[in-house]
Amino acid sequence: MDAKHPLATREELANLDFYTDLADRYLAVDGLEARWVSFTRKEILPDQETAGRMHYLVSLARAVEETLDSAFRAGHIPGTAFFGRGNEGASVASAMCLEDHEWLVPMHRNCGAHLAKGHPPRSIMSHFFGRADGPSGGRDGNFHMGYRPKRITQLISHIGTMVPIATGVAWAAKARGKGEATINYIGDGGTSSGDFHEAVNFAAVRKLPLVIIIDNNQYAYKTLLSDQYACDALVLKAPGYGLPGFLIDGTNAPLVHHVCSQALERARAGGGPTLIESITLRAAGHSVYDKFADYVDMEHFEKWTNERDPIKRLDEALIEFGVMTAEEVAASHARARKDAEDARDEALKSPMPDPAYLTEGVFAE
Amino acid sequence: MITYREALSEALWEEMERDEDVFLLGEDIGLGGGAFYITKGFMEKFGRDRVVDVPLSEAGFTGAAIGAALCGMRPVVEFQFADFVTESYKMIVDYAAGNHYRQMGPVPIVLRLPAAALVSAGPFHSQNPEIWFFGTPGLKIVAPATAFDAKGMLKGAIRDPNPVIFMEYKKFYNYPVDELPEVLRPEIPEDDYTVPFGQARTLREGDDISLITFGTTVLEALEAAEVLENDGVSVEVIDLRTLVPLDKAAIIESVKKTGKILFLHEARKRGGVGGELAAIVAEEVFEYLDAPIRRLGAPEAHVPLSPPLERAYLPSTEKVVSELRDLAAF
Repeated sequence: MDAKHPLATREELANLDFYTDLADRYLAVDGLEARWVSFTRKEILPDQETAGRMHYLVSLARAVEETLDSAFRAGHIPGTAFFGRGNEGASVASAMCLEDHEWLVPMHRNCGAHLAKGHPPRSIMSHFFGRADGPSGGRDGNFHMGYRPKRITQLISHIGTMVPIATGVAWAAKARGKGEATINYIGDGGTSSGDFHEAVNFAAVRKLPLVIIIDNNQYAYKTLLSDQYACDALVLKAPGYGLPGFLIDGTNAPLVHHVCSQALERARAGGGPTLIESITLRAAGHSVYDKFADYVDMEHFEKWTNERDPIKRLDEALIEFGVMTAEEVAASHARARKDAEDARDEALKSPMPDPAYLTEGVFAE
Repeated sequence: MITYREALSEALWEEMERDEDVFLLGEDIGLGGGAFYITKGFMEKFGRDRVVDVPLSEAGFTGAAIGAALCGMRPVVEFQFADFVTESYKMIVDYAAGNHYRQMGPVPIVLRLPAAALVSAGPFHSQNPEIWFFGTPGLKIVAPATAFDAKGMLKGAIRDPNPVIFMEYKKFYNYPVDELPEVLRPEIPEDDYTVPFGQARTLREGDDISLITFGTTVLEALEAAEVLENDGVSVEVIDLRTLVPLDKAAIIESVKKTGKILFLHEARKRGGVGGELAAIVAEEVFEYLDAPIRRLGAPEAHVPLSPPLERAYLPSTEKVVSELRDLAAF
């Protein structure tokens, strides 16, 4: 089914019709050669059990973030909050490819990845609410969180930082020789940072077991892609580092799962890193304070959120191919919503941190 | 007796033999044995996966060290010169320093920083980095001034579960052992040992003035104390050895005895560690002071290269003597 096509241009990528056309295809770049590889939807669907779990987690990611958003409006979240609306499918479908003992190095729009890796919604809620029993004990908030029991690292605000950290995590996996791999995410804006370059280069040189996913959600805060980079697609950086790269539709969760599984298998087998550019739309503001309608093309926004919503697309695909019934899909959504709200209710009962412990834990013993 | 440089090499070698999780990252450290040959022969013994020649990317490889440390490894990062650590600043102060406080686990990394002036090394190969880190919680900052401390403190740093800023002094690397004052060449034990952090060392006892220092200026401090002895003034010289943790008690006890105190360091006086130490003395034992607290550090300039400028910039024995005589006059 392989047929050679020219690379997509950035204008084409930003064009919704182009994407509709490409619904279930991804562009693979191998060296400087560009190919289209086609898949039918059915071919990329995971097995029934995996698909069911994927559906619940994608739905849970949205439910958790919507619950957090209303909790913010109700005054329960100190500081600010960032959400990954529109990225739930890519986040869940990639992270669920990791084994329990493998590390995840997420960014701030990867609620779905946290959930897929096993971070309980209850813990996420406590963290956002600044409670003593959250993973940081109230010492940080919003998506600056890790979860050590499930091997999830914490991120800091400095965008780009986590890519070098991820190379070290992958280094440890390689050094211990147990065939483990890791996933790290970075945004389109983050690819402009020096850290991104230093880390991808190092990972490539040392063939580290690392899958780097560029969550290209079309906006870095309020900056357009055309002000962020001048290449046609970020995935084109891959051959420059000597890496294979994939450009995928990040709103197609089964496709993300399919590509990430392969990239992880390659990494575990010693084949080295893969760079994946996953195109989504940030379907909300940068943070809860961001008036995004001021700078977002709302026509484009409406079209994407209507036609390329990862949850809606997953619902349709699973029903169309008989993986889940409409009733099962509805029940999965209802369960996710209830789990998110129960987690919120429980977390709101958690104690606030005690200032008596303010200076404890600066050093490890 | 071995040199300071050999002491560092021995510490790294022995720790790598002791613990498979210890590995080294740095520019030119493998094939080339490092800019100062501290890891010469290491790659042959431990392989290229434990003695890692990294691409020129300080932020990148510092981040990699942190990531590996999060997973329980014990990376030791060599910066070619301490000055280049500014490339990695956020990785250290924002990520590594606070990770444990944010309850995300320990970050056992050692950052080896070849620090301070060497003859005409210029503005980008001569700096003292402690002040860039001193205000950040969660970082240990150590400054060995002898081969004994270099070995024992590097071993201690590698076994410490926290990020350690390990300043090592280029001036001491190949300093001829027999030219060092007796007190700066303690016997190095055959057996494994570590030097506990937070314990200052009295290099010379005295009753009239306390001279508190660390790092390269231990030499000038001892020479100046000798000169003052001929004046009939007894100077107590203390090497702090580590800045975080700080042996506050040693400073307090000494100034209680002498009533006069001079803080000396090679780094600039303004914003230098001496300012914080002076404030501690003023806050806690003001009533014991018989003279104003004095500080001696480099003046308000960048480290210059040309010899007459560099000589004028660095704290010299003459400058220390002058400060001590001023204090003695009170």
